[in-house]
Amino acid sequence: MKYLVVECCPGYAVLLDEQGLFVKAANFNYTVGQTVEDPVLMKAPREEKKKRRWLGGIAAAAACVMIVLGNGYYQEYVTSYSSIFLSINPEVRMELNRHGEVVELTGENEDGRVLIEGYDAEGKDKLIVSDELIDRAIEMGFLKEGDQVAFSINAPEESLFREYGKELRDEVNAHLRDKLAVMVLVMDYHQTGGAVPEVQSDEGEREGGKEETVKEEAAGDSDYGTGGSDYGDRDD
Amino acid sequence: MNKGSSYMSSEHEIVRQVCLAKDDPDAADQFIRDYMPFIRSETSRFLQRFPSAEYDDELSVAMMAFHEAITGYAKGRGAFLQYAAMLIRNRLIDYHRREKRHRGNLSMDVPAEEEDRTIGETLAGEGDHGEELILREATRAEIEAFSRKLTGFGFSLSDIADNCPRQKRTIAVCQKAMACAEKNPDIAADLLRTKRLPVARLSLENGIERKTLERHRKYIIALILICSGEFEIIRGHLKQVLKGGASK
Repeated sequence: MKYLVVECCPGYAVLLDEQGLFVKAANFNYTVGQTVEDPVLMKAPREEKKKRRWLGGIAAAAACVMIVLGNGYYQEYVTSYSSIFLSINPEVRMELNRHGEVVELTGENEDGRVLIEGYDAEGKDKLIVSDELIDRAIEMGFLKEGDQVAFSINAPEESLFREYGKELRDEVNAHLRDKLAVMVLVMDYHQTGGAVPEVQSDEGEREGGKEETVKEEAAGDSDYGTGGSDYGDRDD
Repeated sequence: MNKGSSYMSSEHEIVRQVCLAKDDPDAADQFIRDYMPFIRSETSRFLQRFPSAEYDDELSVAMMAFHEAITGYAKGRGAFLQYAAMLIRNRLIDYHRREKRHRGNLSMDVPAEEEDRTIGETLAGEGDHGEELILREATRAEIEAFSRKLTGFGFSLSDIADNCPRQKRTIAVCQKAMACAEKNPDIAADLLRTKRLPVARLSLENGIERKTLERHRKYIIALILICSGEFEIIRGHLKQVLKGGASK
């Protein structure tokens, strides 16, 4: 597919493909009028918003049914209450109900979408989904010895963050015992915004081959914590 | 305490600028220029060296990712720069994985040895280069004229890219509207005269939902303008869709 460069901006270029679609892409020093192939396309940001509105419509209809039935089933089992970002890289987001079961699974980057393609997580516990996604990541070559598995937990209460963090850490360690030595990180999404710090592996602890290293990032310790960023104190 | 409140006020300022940039392309461009040091820093962290604006595509990918962060940011995602850093890193990883399949191929844009030109420039014959330049210049002039025409309707090429449909079914519907305008030149004439898309007529004659026409109004206007006869080079680029439209 050939693309005609029609506009160049500092952050991106606008291209016209042969099907008549206008798309935004990375601007590799393009000039207007140039024809290019194989550009890096920008990901459309509005899909999630639309999806939420659509889900809202479904949720409203389901809520009416639940009110008629006279119980709180919908609130307990279908509404998203917290979320967990699993980052290997691939990046995957799990939306959970109040019981820690997955109500929605989304690939947050290209590899994430590849990882979850054809995988049904709905209604499964977050621990089972985490194990199964990690297994898929190993099979697909995304996760290897010495790599890092990070969980960024977005929970409305501190207690839930700690509960899920401990469960995930214990479960992943047990699941990978005698299989693969990886570093497991558990982070509070509210502190890091989902960013995963680069963590140096500690070779000394890994001697013996199969011992897993577990690290929990406290607020302010991460490179991305409050005041830790080079840009945290920028004055305007 | 002072450091904390200073951080919070600068964070508020960043969020304010991001909100402005979401709706105003000029503000977005300026915001990206202001934060080029940050973008370079994140790219450098990934590459483990300082990126070159001329030869490192990674810097362009990072700038695009920063723009994605502007459009995709919501307060619930935490601090903006952390979110942007995450997006930049993700996109660079995606880009490197994608480029693995091109490993071993030589880029045409790197400098040739002992010359002031790129490898691509050394391979092209003199005649080819001249003709190509003339065509490129003509294309550029036509695109600028097209962009000016769109400004008359109150939107830009970036706006059209944001308004483009993503689903196959909707794309087919929009192409149907374009095919109708191609067969009926008075539709384009009406559009240029009134500066309004004839939604009722397109809906009635083609069985297209008015909602779809309204939702992708800017995109359909752009397609109709391309088919109006004034923009031959751009029209020539759309050979795929025009073949399909003609056969329908």
